[in-house]
Amino acid sequence: MSELDPVIHAQARLRVVVTLATLADGDRITFPRLQELLAMTPGNLSVHLRKLEDAGYVEIDKTHRGRTPTTLVRLSRRGRRAFEEYTENIRALLDPPAPRETR
Amino acid sequence: MTTDGDTAPLDAADAMRLIREQRASTARRLEPDPRVHYWPWGFAWLIGFGIYFLRFSPDGRTLVAMPAWLPLTLLFVLLAAAAAVFGVGSARAYRHVAGESARRGSWYGASWGLGFLSLSLILGRVTDSLPHDLAGLLWSALSVALTGALHMAGGAIWLDRTLFRLGVWLTAVNIVGVLAGPGWHALVVSVAGGGGMLVAGALARQRHG
Repeated sequence: MSELDPVIHAQARLRVVVTLATLADGDRITFPRLQELLAMTPGNLSVHLRKLEDAGYVEIDKTHRGRTPTTLVRLSRRGRRAFEEYTENIRALLDPPAPRETR
Repeated sequence: MTTDGDTAPLDAADAMRLIREQRASTARRLEPDPRVHYWPWGFAWLIGFGIYFLRFSPDGRTLVAMPAWLPLTLLFVLLAAAAAVFGVGSARAYRHVAGESARRGSWYGASWGLGFLSLSLILGRVTDSLPHDLAGLLWSALSVALTGALHMAGGAIWLDRTLFRLGVWLTAVNIVGVLAGPGWHALVVSVAGGGGMLVAGALARQRHG
């Protein structure tokens, strides 16, 4: 049985990762919109994003749109893969893959 | 949910449910009701081409008396209103998302705009020298042809079966209408074309959940 990725396996971060994974590959979302989709406080979201960034799962770009500074967030390739693996592991836990061996 | 979730216990079933719910709610909020994409156009066609048919009916007749300028003006106002609803709806959903989807959407929007600009410039040059019924047929048939092609292209871009099938349907409806001739074309496009868009919107809505 594979271990569940501890970076993803926490309620708040799992919600962040799922939301980012729902975006099309190559899309980035602004911090305030992400916050709105998740209904999280800015501080709370920042903490989780930093942990995800440290793990290399999330890429955060600080740019400018016109004159206003904007923070754009996206799931990295690595993050997307990690989430896919995590989902597979969860599925395997819920529905053990080798039913013949149980008898 | 705003408390720190690091320590919250999470078993596999909870995690699976959370993934499903969060994905569904994000998708719903990023892509609002798909009827916004179809119904404004559907109603514009149904009403606009319907009234055009009543004024410029087959064999040069007039089923309902009204000024000659009214049907086309009304059609263009309805189409402009549909474009506004559609544009505001998509821009609202996609606000604060940057990247490939946004670029895809804006290039697709530009192809509509430029396509219809070039079409109307070309038609404006030639239709004065045509009899009224043929000029009307040319305008509407070419507009529907371009619309059908762009719907098919949109289906190809987003791999959206509903959009692609609607494009095929509009193309077929257009051909039938052109073969039937001036007057009939407006009726066919109104009922089958506009109606087809309403049906496509209802189907997309069902799939969206």
